[in-house]
Amino acid sequence: MNTDIFSLGGQSFSSRLFLGTGKFANSDLMARSLMASGAQLVTVALRRFNRETPADDLCAPLLKIPGLCLVPNTSGARNAEEAVQAALLGRELTGSSFVKLEIHPNPHHLLPDPIETYEAARRLVPLGFQVLPYIPADPVLAKRLEDLGCAAVMPLGAPIGSGRGLATLDMIRIILADSRIPVIVDAGLRAPSDAAQAMEMGCSAVLVNSAIAAAGEPVEMAVAFAEAVCAGRRAFRAGLMERSASASATSPLTAFLSPPAGADA
Amino acid sequence: MTHSLPAPAALTNSWPDDLSPLPWRTRILHLSARDVEDALSAETPNESHLAALLSPAAQPFLETIAQHAQRLTVRHFGRTIALYIPLYLSDICSGGCIYCGFAADRPRPRRALALKEIESELLAIKTLGFEEILLLTGERAPQADVNYLETAIHQASHHFHRVTLEVFPMEKAEYHRLACAGCTAVSLYQETYQRTDYATLHRWGPKRDYDARLDAPSRALDAGIRSVGLGALWGLADPLSDALSLYRHVRQLQRRFWKSEITLAFPRIRPQAGDFQPSFPVDERLLAQIIWAFRICLPTVSMSLSTRESPAFRDGMAGVGINKMSIASRTTVGGYQTPQPAADGQFIIHDDRDLPTFSRALKNKGLEPIFKNWESLYRTVPA
Repeated sequence: MNTDIFSLGGQSFSSRLFLGTGKFANSDLMARSLMASGAQLVTVALRRFNRETPADDLCAPLLKIPGLCLVPNTSGARNAEEAVQAALLGRELTGSSFVKLEIHPNPHHLLPDPIETYEAARRLVPLGFQVLPYIPADPVLAKRLEDLGCAAVMPLGAPIGSGRGLATLDMIRIILADSRIPVIVDAGLRAPSDAAQAMEMGCSAVLVNSAIAAAGEPVEMAVAFAEAVCAGRRAFRAGLMERSASASATSPLTAFLSPPAGADA
Repeated sequence: MTHSLPAPAALTNSWPDDLSPLPWRTRILHLSARDVEDALSAETPNESHLAALLSPAAQPFLETIAQHAQRLTVRHFGRTIALYIPLYLSDICSGGCIYCGFAADRPRPRRALALKEIESELLAIKTLGFEEILLLTGERAPQADVNYLETAIHQASHHFHRVTLEVFPMEKAEYHRLACAGCTAVSLYQETYQRTDYATLHRWGPKRDYDARLDAPSRALDAGIRSVGLGALWGLADPLSDALSLYRHVRQLQRRFWKSEITLAFPRIRPQAGDFQPSFPVDERLLAQIIWAFRICLPTVSMSLSTRESPAFRDGMAGVGINKMSIASRTTVGGYQTPQPAADGQFIIHDDRDLPTFSRALKNKGLEPIFKNWESLYRTVPA
């Protein structure tokens, strides 16, 4: 039995792999990848929601999976105002109080706007949202969002879809060192080993989309990520041995010093 | 070489300084296989890499180029194809484009849809399942002016999440009005970036003003339109010059309007009324090479292909460079309610499959057709 339960925004998750639902060749493959991954939380872009014909939109297969937490994301919003409106609509459509806050004004590199994201979070938290902001790996911003009452922070490993792995590793370490809310690495992961590394460092979860959807065999890759996340988490809990930069010197360098006071000669 | 390219010496054109295809247009014939290999392995491709991929030296690498283009398309757009549909509001035109079926000197009955007709066309299209619509007219005319477009956009934005406009160049204040009415994107192709050819091809009317057209995308973005579509009409002029200028135009706008989306389309001159013969015919192989060169050098830019092209070509390009397509198009005014002879349209449709047939073809290729990829909430317009 899994005793390592992850609590986020008042809900409990036994899987620490979150999935994005875009970019799949068809919704059946998306649903099968999702099932294979064991993910219990998925994000769906509001711009892909078809509220007029929900029967044939991409949510239909997701709604059939019992217990799945469907989190709307605000991708496409260019500023705080649009993101807040999108969050309100997303809550109405999914009934979920979670929102993945994603504001990337530049449609080409899709990097998040820290200023608009902060402003949107400031407005959404008092409205009762469990805000999951997608952010640059900026330790100060992460703390500012924690102070606002966000449920987690989601720093990027690398730009969305870039597959460049944990390019922001050093900044994520600093975020992890000080954060009192879950840190979930989002975007840029390419290989299951990237996910394992993020978990080994102490991230609470990872969110993966392109790496699975664009894989040769998405279902297989979903399983591979699930296993990597488990392995990484287990390693983190077990405690990694200290990394040693060099072997101990054979001849002590301090022998010439007089022994500490009180020591036997 | 599978296609002949004019020697640079034969080019007697001029360009705005910042969009000049020189010096690459001159060097392009001297690039080697090594340059192509460098372009294929470039971490951040630039203009020199585009030139290499467009060059005759790249032709033997076409398969490798296609595979690279496919990888990048999947990486950035997933295994999906976004679908949209055009609605021709009016074929009344003051323009004298020598190559166009709507040009003012072509004897044909002309009309602009009445508001009621627009509504029934919109509903007919909506029933098909589309969520993105492209509204088109000819050059500016009293029957299809900015007031008319404002109303049409307003109507369309009730039914569709994304409304795009392909009409005529406007002033900033006019674009602002249309953005407020619900217009998300504007497509405006320069046709050719070469001034001399441009002047010959556009015989009269406001479209003769090359600079007013060239600057219109900037005015649109300045006014709050979120996305502009650029393109050249392949076949009108030396394609390599136009490709290089087009690339510069995209990069220039990307740098200046960092919050805006710049997209590309790849229309190619096709037979239509007036029997215009393109001076620089672009065959499918060269068109594919151009599209893939752009995909590799601008990997995140949305690139679309219309029903001007044949089913086989479109199926081949879907997901391989191209991430967006129109389908079930009628290029005649009122064509969705009352089908009319295809030869009356602005151009002849080569892919006349219906939506279910085309969707099946995409699915067979492992591609998911997507209709809604935008949200009408994202229509705020900065003051």
